[in-house]
Amino acid sequence: MTRKHSVLLKEEKCEGCTNCVKGCPTKAIRVHQGKAWIKEDLCIDCAECIRACEYHAKYTKTDQLEKIVKTSDYPVLLIPPSFYSQFSAEISSQKIKKAIQNLGFRAVFDVAEAAAALSRKTLDFLNNNQGSYISTSCPVIVRLIKLQFPDLIEMLIPLKSPVELIAERIKRKFKEEKNINPDIFFLTPCPAKLTTVNRAIGQKESFLSGAIGVENIYQKIYESLADIELKTEAGRVITLATIWGSEGGEEGILKSWQELNTLSVSGIKEAKKLLNEIERNNIPDAIRYFELTSCTNGCIGGVLNVINPFQAQFNLEERIKKIREITQAHNLDFEKDDDQFYNFALSESITADNVSKLDSDFKKAMQKLEQLQKEIDILPGLDCAACGAPDCKTFAEDVVNGRASRADCIFMLRKQLGKLADDLSILAHELPPVMASQKEESDDS
Amino acid sequence: MSLQKQQILNKEIDSFDFQSGGEASSDLKNILRKLGVPSKIVRKTAIITYELEMNVVIHSLGGEITALISEDELEIRVDDSGPGIEDLDKAFTAGFSTASDEIREMGFGAGMGLVNVKRYADQIDVKSSKDAGTHVKVIINLAN
Repeated sequence: MTRKHSVLLKEEKCEGCTNCVKGCPTKAIRVHQGKAWIKEDLCIDCAECIRACEYHAKYTKTDQLEKIVKTSDYPVLLIPPSFYSQFSAEISSQKIKKAIQNLGFRAVFDVAEAAAALSRKTLDFLNNNQGSYISTSCPVIVRLIKLQFPDLIEMLIPLKSPVELIAERIKRKFKEEKNINPDIFFLTPCPAKLTTVNRAIGQKESFLSGAIGVENIYQKIYESLADIELKTEAGRVITLATIWGSEGGEEGILKSWQELNTLSVSGIKEAKKLLNEIERNNIPDAIRYFELTSCTNGCIGGVLNVINPFQAQFNLEERIKKIREITQAHNLDFEKDDDQFYNFALSESITADNVSKLDSDFKKAMQKLEQLQKEIDILPGLDCAACGAPDCKTFAEDVVNGRASRADCIFMLRKQLGKLADDLSILAHELPPVMASQKEESDDS
Repeated sequence: MSLQKQQILNKEIDSFDFQSGGEASSDLKNILRKLGVPSKIVRKTAIITYELEMNVVIHSLGGEITALISEDELEIRVDDSGPGIEDLDKAFTAGFSTASDEIREMGFGAGMGLVNVKRYADQIDVKSSKDAGTHVKVIINLAN
């Protein structure tokens, strides 16, 4: 069975508290029978629940290194720009790559190469098209738009993400040059990228075979670094596009080539706020490109990373400085024949996830809306989440949709009990007619 | 022929309340999504409602917004008490605004408010005169 999402629940660790329920940006979690279940059609793999859970009950199960090395004939690993933030800039990128390869991969590649190419293509696209566009690189943002801002889908730039671009290129190259079908894995900082392996965005299928979380192999890489001796060669230094790993990296590259109005926002809550303003036309048209990432600080803030995002930011900045020193200049070529290597266009259109409607029949939806308003009016409005839903409005919707019962609200239950107690006491004081008449008779005598 | 419309939103808007300005627009957007209204129309509505709502916040002494819906039409009414619009023709001219410098510094008052509303609305009717408040009625077609 293929999982739809990558964030999972360790039932035995879940205390049934509602921290994750409250923190979920798409209101996708409900506590039911003491456990916090994720509603698959609403989850966007942002990992906010992993961050919110104090009991570590939410987790991501990525592919295991041992299994990959054992089962794949030709495993190849793709390294995201953010991964370099996990090491001090003193450790050369070549050394890090060598250490990764030593784990059992036939080859390793930097996604940053494709990121640089994608930036060139993005600029080209913006110069040849009117309007404003949103980056399609963060899968969480794309899913958020599909789910909650479907009218903004047309603003998503119709280009593949750097990971898919490079994976496709490697597949083709190996096939053509060596007649090899490599299994391509991604060293992922987040659960969302793992999800794209099974559920690709704007493509029929992903070019990836799987993804390994950074946390899974970090220790092994770190330990083996000491045994590797390599000299830094200027020609083999990683690209400046490695800055893509942190917030503003993408727009920084675009702006290094051409004056352009861009805006970068990181963190799912902030991204939602921005999308809301874009939706109601409250953002200047002059802004041509929006770089949005779900994790605060960009991909370096990914939940599967090991190093704290502040240190990671420092590490990445230091590494960028070093790249500039070694290469003596900007090693980001503006002119390159990328189309020869990469197939940028998305092959399928990105479609809306219409899950918010109450009913597909308008009249029935109107009836449910009325019912919903009534439910909301009688609920206490405390948003205590004791019912297992994040707030009273969401709970009311669950009730209307038949997914919860009104008595799941402890305040409603108390009210009902109170009424029942009143009724009981009234009933208790009512005497049967036979007794009443006897009483009257005795009064008479 | 228009079917009987049902009220789906009624909200008061306070003058100079920039904190809650935009809430009616968000609420209406969510309601329309629940009713399964196509996203292009939801977007139009969000833009129109936000403009009209902010007009009340910026220019009036307060007012209210009401939305009514039938299967084929959405009607948005925004009524405020305030100085009214002296010259309606001017108000529909791009770039014309009576907003104060303070308001402009906040990024509002570009003189595109009613112009944008007219652009996205299928019908618009504005009734206003000096010191008589402003009463806007917008119709958005829902039937294809």
